[in-house]
Amino acid sequence: MSRLADAPAATPDVGSGAALRTFLVEDSPVIRENLIATLEELTPVQVVGNADDESSARRWLDDPAHECELVIVDVVLRSGSGLGVLRAAAGQDAARRFVVLTNYATADMRERCLSLGADRVFDKSSELDDLIAFCVDMGDSLARA
Amino acid sequence: MTALLAKLPRGALVLVIAASALLALALINEVSFHRSAVALQSLGDRGTARSQINLMLRRVLDAETAVRGYLLTGRKEYLEPYDSAASEVAGALAWLRQFYVDERSRALVDEVGRGVNSKLAETALTLKLFDEGSQHGWRELMLTDIGREKMEAVRSATEQLLALEAQRVADERAQIDRSLRLGRLGIDAMLLLFVLALWLYARQALQLQRARAAHAQTLAEERDRLERQVHHRTAELTQLARHLQNAREDERARLARELHDELGALLTAAKLDAARLRHSLGAMPPEVHQRLAHLVNAMDQVVALKRRIIEDLRPSSLGHLGLVAALEIQAREFAARSEIKVRTRLEQVPLADSAQITVYRLVQECFTNIAKYSGAKLVQVTLGPDGDQAHVSVSDDGCGFDTATVRAGAHGLTGMRYRVEAEGGRLALDAAPGRGTRIEAWLPATAPAS
Repeated sequence: MSRLADAPAATPDVGSGAALRTFLVEDSPVIRENLIATLEELTPVQVVGNADDESSARRWLDDPAHECELVIVDVVLRSGSGLGVLRAAAGQDAARRFVVLTNYATADMRERCLSLGADRVFDKSSELDDLIAFCVDMGDSLARA
Repeated sequence: MTALLAKLPRGALVLVIAASALLALALINEVSFHRSAVALQSLGDRGTARSQINLMLRRVLDAETAVRGYLLTGRKEYLEPYDSAASEVAGALAWLRQFYVDERSRALVDEVGRGVNSKLAETALTLKLFDEGSQHGWRELMLTDIGREKMEAVRSATEQLLALEAQRVADERAQIDRSLRLGRLGIDAMLLLFVLALWLYARQALQLQRARAAHAQTLAEERDRLERQVHHRTAELTQLARHLQNAREDERARLARELHDELGALLTAAKLDAARLRHSLGAMPPEVHQRLAHLVNAMDQVVALKRRIIEDLRPSSLGHLGLVAALEIQAREFAARSEIKVRTRLEQVPLADSAQITVYRLVQECFTNIAKYSGAKLVQVTLGPDGDQAHVSVSDDGCGFDTATVRAGAHGLTGMRYRVEAEGGRLALDAAPGRGTRIEAWLPATAPAS
């Protein structure tokens, strides 16, 4: 929660409407489209970029010009793995929050993702509502800050 | 007969020849002996006949000499040989008459007999005249040369008989000679035949030996060929099994991926739509919300089903978390499911993807068997390096089984063995009734990842 409190300080120019700038790492175009549409409709999320494999995701995240408060990562990607994205980002930018959205949300996978610095792990099928709630909460926190 | 001979094996033919030769040899020998024996017997008889003839002649001469001595001296003792001569001559004549049965000899014997009798009669007359004191009478008789003529007649007949006898002896000798020659020839011929048979037999034995050696050679070659073929086929089958196994795993992985990617994406999209719907519906009648909840619930069930199918097709943990984690998860799930305690001692070993799946499936198969048959309380699973191989073992403290009586295909053992061998590894089974079961496998490790 302490990182949540730090977030506004790292991103002072959030702008009006308290948009939650989000980077999406997801290889399925169907999910990507629907997810962007849903999150932007129901939450303050504003998707500022996306990638469908590990290397391009890391390139985008490494670029200091790219700013975002939230990164949503899928574990299974076109090439590479969402775990690699998490590992590369660990300790880079404490203001960025990482959540994992996966179809393999087993206990071991959750543990592995959390140990790699993910805030939350959501099951792609059964925990979409939780993800939406998480984004709403985060947007609210940003707005309050 | 020839047909019968043709039917006999060649060895038997040689035996028949040898037996025939022996039989012929015995026959020839016997015939030759018999003929010789007869001829020799006959020769002996002829000797006796000759001596009888000579004896008779001598007795006649003795009688003549004795009478002359008596006539000269008038002393009775000179007459002794004469007295015995008559009976001895009669005996010899009787013997000869009995001995000679052919006409010519008979005639000669009769002639000799007549001569002898008439000479003896002449001598007896001379003696009678002397004894009567007729000096003139006996001298007259002597001077008539009748005695000398009669003696000559006896001599001549005797000589003829002896000559005939000599002729016959010569004939019989020739007969014996012929017999001996025949016997010799027969024995030589038979010996030759015997040697031939022996040679044939030896040659045949040699041929037989060669044929046997050739046969054994052929058999050995055939056996080697078959062994090579079996080896080749086994290798092919192993390769095929490996190929099929890989194809199966590949297909399962492809199916799992497709289900995950396509179906998963569609389901997620549908659920996202449902979430948006719920928000945008706002104040709708409660039954609409109920319908929507029902729809979401149905989709959740489809998701769960999809997940189960995917996990079944290919454990996702293997791909994402590695073999050690996948085995740990499997062990934990098995323990939870079966209430059998599972202890693991797992160490990371670099293995090819296919080998990792093999190890995972092996352990899976073992768990299935343990739950089904063993009644075990504790299972131990180990994985670790052993030289340049990965060693995996699953042992339980269950009832075990007799490896000799449980058929090879039971408990999926054959499948496991094939799978491990197709991966270039080896599987060992150690089990006995009441002693639990231990299954071990060694699989070639890949070069350690940098």
